[in-house]
Amino acid sequence: MTGDDDEPLDPELRDAARAYHEPPEVPREALWTRIQLRRSAEPGAAPGDPPAARLAARSPRLLVWGAGIAALLALGVGIGRLSVHVRPPLRADPTPVAAAPAPPPQASSPAAAAPGRDAAAYRLAAAEHLGQAEAFLTLFRASVREGHRERLAPATARQLLATNRLLLDSPAAADPRLRFLLQDLELVLAEIAQLAPERRGEDLKLITDGLERDGMLVRLRAAVPAGTGAAFRKGVL
Amino acid sequence: MDDRHLISRVQAGDASAERELYDTHVERVYRLVYRLAGDADQAQDYTQETFIRAFGRLGEFRGEAALGTWICSIAVSVALNGLRRGKRLRTREVALDEAAAAATPDRAAEPDLRDRLARAIDALPEGYRVVFLMHDVEGYTHEEIGRTLGVQTGTSKAQLSRARAKLRRALADFARG
Repeated sequence: MTGDDDEPLDPELRDAARAYHEPPEVPREALWTRIQLRRSAEPGAAPGDPPAARLAARSPRLLVWGAGIAALLALGVGIGRLSVHVRPPLRADPTPVAAAPAPPPQASSPAAAAPGRDAAAYRLAAAEHLGQAEAFLTLFRASVREGHRERLAPATARQLLATNRLLLDSPAAADPRLRFLLQDLELVLAEIAQLAPERRGEDLKLITDGLERDGMLVRLRAAVPAGTGAAFRKGVL
Repeated sequence: MDDRHLISRVQAGDASAERELYDTHVERVYRLVYRLAGDADQAQDYTQETFIRAFGRLGEFRGEAALGTWICSIAVSVALNGLRRGKRLRTREVALDEAAAAATPDRAAEPDLRDRLARAIDALPEGYRVVFLMHDVEGYTHEEIGRTLGVQTGTSKAQLSRARAKLRRALADFARG
């Protein structure tokens, strides 16, 4: 407190003033997660808006991501179907859940390039999905810990669940580690998707306990290639 | 680390630099907006918005003040705008006279100095309150306050002096007691 020519407050008043709106410990990680998610969303939510309004503002973008990943996955599945004609399938039953019809084979498609191309498409789709799921679950856990009720969490979880099931039915799940991760992730997402408003308290605790117990976030972070998070932030997809 | 070097790393897309910038300044930002808002949810909202804007506008930072001061100026702007909006929505602005009366009741009826001081601080005009909280509570210098709020150092000193005078008057019976 330098440069003050005025008489300072009495010590008793000064001490009382320091108790005015005394800040608690900074929730660094939760805030960082919120900032990351918000930066990945379209700008437009105004400062001072309640959290629910901002979640509503960013959720459409999350859904757009999900739709983008689903579209990418459907494309990958389509390419995979193409490649079925030129090489053995990776799984015994690679029938996709995606309703998108496979494009007809094109004579100009270089069959030799298909395996590398569809593998890359699946890898990209899986990586983006896992990155998005990790961001969502991190935010979800932080919100639960802080006592917030993210009303739109079930809707986002349902969107992620749809993509998760597409991936589980795709050749990407031929990798056992990825398949186990997707299966465990499916359980968590299904629980959040089915959250009933009247039983949220105990259900939320069960879900977050499960997240901790299974080390889901750690496993997701380990599975997401470096740079995927940055791609989300910059809105690459 | 030099502000300019950190900024150039952030602008180059270095994710670790973004986190470094956040880690360096989040404590100060959060404390300041919490002091202004007095509510954890609002403080988190304002802190988030501050960093969103800071990252988005780093290219506008000219280095005329320290990066921390620039970020705090964003934080104060975000918090005050948010609080004004909330105040309008709640339409429960406390008239100064009414607040002053509330702050100087019979001592025996309201013995808690902290509560009375808090109400007296709430009743200060916005400019006085911000300067008082920044200087006497959070320990900013008048030079920092001036750069953060975009006012002259003398203005900051004058506002602090008036804020203290109002608080002393509001709590005169405590001072005499």
